[in-house]
Amino acid sequence: MSPLLAFVRFELVRLLRSWKFLAITVGFPVVFYMLFLGERRSGQIIDGTVPWRVYLMVSMCTFGALVAALNAGGSRLATERSTGWARQLRVTPMPAWSYVATKVTASMLVVLPVLILVELVGFTFGGVRLGIGQWVGLTMLLWITAIPFAVLGVFVGFMVNAETAYPVVTALMFVLGYFGGLFNPVSQMPRALQSAAQALPSFHHAALALDLLASQTLGAGNWLVLGGYTVFLGLALAWKYRVEESRGLA
Amino acid sequence: MLQTGSGSGLPPGVRVGEALALVRRLYRRPAPFDTTVERAGIGPLLGCRTNHLSGGEAQRVRFALAIAGDPELVFLDEPTVAMDVDGRRTFWRMMRQFGQEGRTIVFATHHLEEADQIADRVIVINHGRVVADGPGATLKAAVAARHLRFVVTDPEPERYDRLEGVTDVEICGSGVTLVSLDADATARDLVRSNIAFRDLEVTGACLEDAFIALTERKRSTDGEVTP
Repeated sequence: MSPLLAFVRFELVRLLRSWKFLAITVGFPVVFYMLFLGERRSGQIIDGTVPWRVYLMVSMCTFGALVAALNAGGSRLATERSTGWARQLRVTPMPAWSYVATKVTASMLVVLPVLILVELVGFTFGGVRLGIGQWVGLTMLLWITAIPFAVLGVFVGFMVNAETAYPVVTALMFVLGYFGGLFNPVSQMPRALQSAAQALPSFHHAALALDLLASQTLGAGNWLVLGGYTVFLGLALAWKYRVEESRGLA
Repeated sequence: MLQTGSGSGLPPGVRVGEALALVRRLYRRPAPFDTTVERAGIGPLLGCRTNHLSGGEAQRVRFALAIAGDPELVFLDEPTVAMDVDGRRTFWRMMRQFGQEGRTIVFATHHLEEADQIADRVIVINHGRVVADGPGATLKAAVAARHLRFVVTDPEPERYDRLEGVTDVEICGSGVTLVSLDADATARDLVRSNIAFRDLEVTGACLEDAFIALTERKRSTDGEVTP
């Protein structure tokens, strides 16, 4: 096994052993899904394209990806930085970028099972029926487009410290969730909030997947925003990592 | 490189053995796992979670991680800060062993007796400048001052001050310590002066005295100390 793979596996083991992480990552999307299912709006067609139950499952997938990525990076990384572990790793021959790359990779790897779990809830309780190809395509799309969330999570982990991490991560989860139209369709929001949603990656993440299910075409605008966020956050993360490293604190 | 800070330097939520196994992988030619475990004396800790270690144990684990790559040269920054007396002793015994295998160990410390007992070569740095460099014994010899300790029933400070060679007098209860630049002359003068002393003891400077003498000498020759 290459050093980087060993490092990714090491991070995964740590994530999966953390009860706090598992409880939040599994608990939030599943409990929210169940709560929203209780609203029984199954007759509605959202934006004239997809039924409510499909909208809800896709939204909860996006929310699940967001929760998993923010918690895998965010607060855990902030706590870890305060221990000096990253500094200890920097004296090994491991290349500097691989610490950050490993974190993003590990986040992506925990996002996938969360997506599948939410889809299982959708199939079992949410009344969502799709063809096998659609299930696979949907999962892959939701997963690949979760990259900006994974980068955001790691970036937040570098920006906050152990004390401020929890409130910041929680606020981000709900701001991106609510204003991204994951708890209530954007088309049912006030006009001002509708345009705000256009600026958030969470909206475009769900919109892209809904597009796939509704029309089999993927909006270039959605890709552009998600790609833009990935590049912007990636550069911000690289900059922050260099600053931290030059201070010997990374 | 081994460093200390506020944190343990170890990732929470893994066992010591797992952290060491990972760090070994990151090196191209690591020392065998068991060798590192033995050198750092962390055998009993391998199964422990990193967040359940005491300060001294965590420091030993950090040391194990620092030498996992089988380095020729090791830098230690205040390596024994979190350790108790026992841990410190064990640690330095391991370091000595490690050094005898032909490796170079450079460490910074505020425990001067540690530098004196462990290091083959001591470098004193004062305000960014090297003020002394040599074996501990040489450094100590550079300090002429000797300590004369004795006990009297009724200390008379003003009399001790006038004794030949005395530069400083310390009185603690009935114990008197004289710092002298010429211990022989001071002792002769002490006997002549009819002071009713007992338990006389003459000792050389310790490294701490040498350190103070060296750094102060520098300050006085420099005049104003530039920060």
